[in-house]
Amino acid sequence: MGKIAKGSRKGKKAWRANISTEDIEDFFEQSNKDALSGGSLSQLPNDSLFYVDNSKDLSVKRKIEKHREKVLRCDSVLQKNPFVQALPSSKPKQKKKSKKENKDVVKEKDETRDGQKSDGASASGMVDIWANEGEGDNPKKVPKPSVIPAVEVEASGCSYNPTFESHQESLAQAVAEEMQKVYRKELGPEPVPITVPGEVINDEDRYFLEVDNGSDDENVENLSENQDTGNENRSRKTKKVTRVELNKRERHKELHRKEAEAKKREELSKQIDSLPNIIEEITKEDEEKQKRHIRRVVAMQERLKVRPPRLGKHKFEPAPTQVLLSEEITGSLRKLKGCCTLVKDRFKSLEKRGLIVPVKGKRLDELSTLLLLFLSLVVAILLIRVTVDYLKQRL
Amino acid sequence: MPKHYRPAGKKKEGNAAKYITRSQALKQLQVNTKLFRKLCIYKGVFPREPKKKFKGNHQTYYHLKDVSFIRHDPILEDLRAKSAYRKKIIKAKAKRNKELADILKNRQPEIKLDRLVQERYPHFIDALRDLDDPLTLVHLFAALPASDRLKIEVKRVHNCRKLSHEWQAYISRTHKLRKVFISVKGVYYQAEVEGQKITWLTPHGMQQVLPDDDVVYDVLLSFLEFYETLLAFVNFKLYHSINVKYPPILDPQLEASAAELYALARYFDANSRPSEKVEATQEEESELRLAQLQHQLPSNEPGALMQLVKDAADENEEDEDTKECKNLFKNMRFFLSREVPRESMLFVIPAFGGTVSWEGEGAPFSETDQSITHQIVDRPTQGHVYLSREYVQPQWVYDCVNTRIILPTDAYMVGRVPPPHLSPFVDNEEEGYVPDYAETIKRLKSAAKNEILPMPGMGKEDLDDPTKFVG
Repeated sequence: MGKIAKGSRKGKKAWRANISTEDIEDFFEQSNKDALSGGSLSQLPNDSLFYVDNSKDLSVKRKIEKHREKVLRCDSVLQKNPFVQALPSSKPKQKKKSKKENKDVVKEKDETRDGQKSDGASASGMVDIWANEGEGDNPKKVPKPSVIPAVEVEASGCSYNPTFESHQESLAQAVAEEMQKVYRKELGPEPVPITVPGEVINDEDRYFLEVDNGSDDENVENLSENQDTGNENRSRKTKKVTRVELNKRERHKELHRKEAEAKKREELSKQIDSLPNIIEEITKEDEEKQKRHIRRVVAMQERLKVRPPRLGKHKFEPAPTQVLLSEEITGSLRKLKGCCTLVKDRFKSLEKRGLIVPVKGKRLDELSTLLLLFLSLVVAILLIRVTVDYLKQRL
Repeated sequence: MPKHYRPAGKKKEGNAAKYITRSQALKQLQVNTKLFRKLCIYKGVFPREPKKKFKGNHQTYYHLKDVSFIRHDPILEDLRAKSAYRKKIIKAKAKRNKELADILKNRQPEIKLDRLVQERYPHFIDALRDLDDPLTLVHLFAALPASDRLKIEVKRVHNCRKLSHEWQAYISRTHKLRKVFISVKGVYYQAEVEGQKITWLTPHGMQQVLPDDDVVYDVLLSFLEFYETLLAFVNFKLYHSINVKYPPILDPQLEASAAELYALARYFDANSRPSEKVEATQEEESELRLAQLQHQLPSNEPGALMQLVKDAADENEEDEDTKECKNLFKNMRFFLSREVPRESMLFVIPAFGGTVSWEGEGAPFSETDQSITHQIVDRPTQGHVYLSREYVQPQWVYDCVNTRIILPTDAYMVGRVPPPHLSPFVDNEEEGYVPDYAETIKRLKSAAKNEILPMPGMGKEDLDDPTKFVG
């Protein structure tokens, strides 16, 4: 309907009616006006219309500066008396200045340092960076990453010639660590096997398997049919509810409601009677909570003394204690079988202090080694096949 | 009035506002993981554990302030410029333009970490407090083999050796060493400098292995770079405090033959500026002599300090402990056999006032010298025996150092299994258990000090009542 109302575009009449000639008329008007007033603006050269103002620009004051320039009435009153000096009521910000001052001081220090460099430094250009100490620096506390010391001296039993008792202690510790690992492996869940050894299926069994698949579909169809018929049967059995029935239901409801109220009141009175008991219970619970909280905090602190908190994807694995076995204690420094992987010890120390996020163990476990082997085998076989085919083609 | 609104995605408070994950930090800083790790190490930024890990337990969280701290540091731009420069070298190589690649390699911009060291350790005492880790790492790298694959440069290893020797020479000269403990891992030393106890670990003299798994070498090398700079500055300050010029210019011959500690000792003697004019002339003489000697000697290893020293360093400033340590091995001359750990001995013995020499060229005195009081051997049997000197195992030296008395040498003689080497870092009273050898040592100590100790098994009751002794 809308399209018909707009009017059809066919026909010359339609064309003539809808074209507006405003712009043409405007143009004529304008040109008349221009002619009367002495030439159109667009035909004049730029210079006659514009000029470059090289005079000084008025500085744009920030709003807040303008605000601060305002003199309060009380101040202006005081200004009239030359003997009374007015303190500005609103202080300008001091912070920015002090920052700038600091920067200047630092720059000065740098310059003096450079000056010193040229005077007293040796050929290598080294200079004492702590020469300007004691200038009352801000005692800014640098947060330490961990309470664990950087170099932990080992126990007495790890000496190259230890006493018997201390050696036994350290040995016991090392053995305990190893046994823990073994137990963990044994008692933990079994890793999923890659391949399950299968049995050969007889032909008969295979038929049974296939039969099962078919029967499943049939069962599903039967069930859905039964449900539909059940619904229809039930709908024919509901009766209309009578007034008698409704009244009965109301009476029952009232009874229930009253009973519930009575019960509530009884409970409330019971609770009020046993109020001191309740208070006792609450205090006990609070104490328990407090104790638990303290225990957890202490446990966490103890844990932090030994290992870092969880900082990444992988857990921290402490390095094993380096103890000599009983046979290896010869008492001779020359024959000492020392630790030759101190690099690992240093790295573990860095991880322990939380400076580095623990790195994943690159050791491949059984599953991944087997997978790798399998994949490499497959790739090798494929490659051989391809080359053989290619050679066959060539020949 | 402009409306203040929070930009979309920016949280106002809570853990999410204070911590960000590593990937978010990388995006903010626009760096890759390697560079980020390096920056964290240089600036001393470490990952935190927020109470609620809002992006999961498997992420690493950093404090937002730490990350902005890194962002506003000029070293970020320097590192970026360095990696851009490296790309130029790679490009030149790819275009088979070898000369350009070589020129660029030689002119690589170097990053100075001086400012960072000063930022992290505004006072000297802060640097001393944190000196354990740097010392251990530098000593470790001084003993490692250089490896191209793991990017351990030969120059680096030499620099570490130089720094470690300078430190050892200082400690030895100013008698600041207090405890030594030989364990399976290596040798632990503890020194006391300006009231701070500094403990560090040195590897044994054996060849160190570079394990491949579990260790990321880039990280260790970044730490090493920072620590080298720190240690250099600390050495500088310490050397200045005893009026010796740093860096010490050693005789290149001695350096080439790995005689650094010895060369350093001589440098000390030559360069400690004396207080009077008389000593100035003496110093010149000794310098001349030194130059002559050095021409004659090609050799190795740290050595005899005490012979050349005329004026010891400022005595008035030494405290009780230092004096005690200085006089422990006074007037004792040691000679080391070939199988004894030389560097360790050459550090420890002069630190306690003794003179030491070894077999080889350039040593101060030879095996046949009559004034040798002790010879340190580690063999099952000793062939020719001089009667004027005692033959002991190296453990004797260390035990004497730990107990601060001269122990009887018969337990440590050649061929015997010496008594157990106790750890000086363990406070026996605290543990409650005192090993037998410790008891023996206590007695010897008190005998040296002329005290009366109760008999074993009895308490101190007898001491209170003097009449009991009489009657």
